[in-house]
Amino acid sequence: MPDVAEIRIDEVKHTLIRAGVPSILNPFDEFAVEEALKIREQLSGDVTVISMGPMQAKDALFKCLAMGADRAILLSDPKFAGADTWATSKTLAMTIKKIGFDLVICGMKAVDGETCQVGPEIAELLGVPHVSYVKRLEIGQDGKSLVAERMTEQGHQLVRSSIPCLLTATKALNVPRMPTLISQMAAKKKPIEIFTAESIGAQKDEVGLPGSLTHVLKVYTPNLRTGEGRIVEESDKDAVPGLLELMKKGGLI
Amino acid sequence: MVGEQKDGQLAAVTMELLTAGRAIASSLNQQLTLLLIGNQLDHLIGTLEEYGPNRIVLISGEEAREFIPEVYSESIAVLAVKASPSVMLFPATYDGRDVAARLAAKLGVGLAADCTELRVDEEDRFVQVRPAFGGNLMAVIQQPITKPQLATLRPHIVKPEKASLKNGCIIEQAKAVGLPKSYDKAILKTVREVAEESGNLDEAEVVIGVGRGLGNPGNLKMVNRLAVLLKAAVGGSRGVVDAGWLPHSQQIGLTGRVISPKMYLALGVSGAVQHLVGVRTAKEIVAINIDPEAPIFKVATYGIVGDLASLLPGIISSVESSVTEKA
Repeated sequence: MPDVAEIRIDEVKHTLIRAGVPSILNPFDEFAVEEALKIREQLSGDVTVISMGPMQAKDALFKCLAMGADRAILLSDPKFAGADTWATSKTLAMTIKKIGFDLVICGMKAVDGETCQVGPEIAELLGVPHVSYVKRLEIGQDGKSLVAERMTEQGHQLVRSSIPCLLTATKALNVPRMPTLISQMAAKKKPIEIFTAESIGAQKDEVGLPGSLTHVLKVYTPNLRTGEGRIVEESDKDAVPGLLELMKKGGLI
Repeated sequence: MVGEQKDGQLAAVTMELLTAGRAIASSLNQQLTLLLIGNQLDHLIGTLEEYGPNRIVLISGEEAREFIPEVYSESIAVLAVKASPSVMLFPATYDGRDVAARLAAKLGVGLAADCTELRVDEEDRFVQVRPAFGGNLMAVIQQPITKPQLATLRPHIVKPEKASLKNGCIIEQAKAVGLPKSYDKAILKTVREVAEESGNLDEAEVVIGVGRGLGNPGNLKMVNRLAVLLKAAVGGSRGVVDAGWLPHSQQIGLTGRVISPKMYLALGVSGAVQHLVGVRTAKEIVAINIDPEAPIFKVATYGIVGDLASLLPGIISSVESSVTEKA
């Protein structure tokens, strides 16, 4: 049965320039890939990694292939540029539907956007349940259901879900394996397939900036106070007394 | 807006959302409706009414027994389609985010997640402010194309305020919708983990923030001693939480807690933007760091450049004698 581990590198929003900027594999996605590989070891199947991004994203996909993924797909098309989480989720869901899946695993969030939205949105679009913030996972040997430990504010929950479903991975889920020299050489032989909007049958206005439903009006640097404070050296005999003074003045001691 | 409750107790973020929602509703000249899902929640109505919603809808039923995001998003969708709100707000909690995301995808609308501010701008637009690009920038977002416009609000940022005028509040009941037939999902067990001794970050007058410059987690003993003397709460930067020195519940900063103490003692904290966002409104920021170029010194009102581990014992004994003097 085919497994799908989906990694996602968000496209540029607003005015950030991506050209020439190296893309990294979103740290959380590494845990997703590792979990998919472990499931394949347990149950057999294929691990496909998908990413939407500029051509630099190939490096991140290569890393996934070097970890042991079977297939890599890069959704790369100028039409995808400027996508918000809705357009991104739509694009990825269309792709996943097209190639077929039993299980989709995403990183819990991307370290640039940090919305934690795309995973559950894709699940809804695919018409499957999802379990988010997964710390531990047990797949039934029949591959039809799983039990996941899901993080909560107060601790965790044990959640059972039928498969097909979607999971989002936390850092606690596993320890991602390091690619070896042999696996890297094997990875070089695997192609990174490029999919465009046409490949997935997406209309121009469904994806990218035109397909986005949230628009950035502007960005600004967070307004941080400037201290104009008194900075002293450790050797200054007044260093610690000065601190005590401040505390006394504030009525704190 | 969708509130949050656990086992019949309202999550504080519900009141924060009601406060934010009220402001937005009045700016847009619209009604504020609160949705709350769960069973036997009538006892919460009194408290909720004090925060001024125009309508409260309690969604209950066999399916609402456990929090399953798919049940909640389906149930809310039914009501949303009927009522056609222009804005829907959710808490940016683990559960709230799941529900909001599924609902957004279901309705085919936008969602601005983890917002630090929600307001109506000069052009009567509902705008959402959230950190972007790993927190180095703030983005101001609008959703001009679709309605409802969804947003999740970060907890502990808006100060909850009761309504000054009590609206006549309409209470309605609705039935929770079950899971789609193909989904077999259940919560098997809920586990509460004992919270670490952290003091109350939100209420303490003094908060001590610990960064990687502390050197090693063993030095936390000294930090905790100082915290006891100062009646301070202890928090940390993302670096120390990621390293496992402190639990996430004590993380201060963009992806942690935003606090407003009288004094923030930054020990071994370099002062990354993402961390400083969490203590922006502290009255005094005191920093101790071995690196004179550390960005924290740019925002500190008082700073000592030096080795934290060697300075701490001296500070502790000085505070100790001051405290015992008074006693």
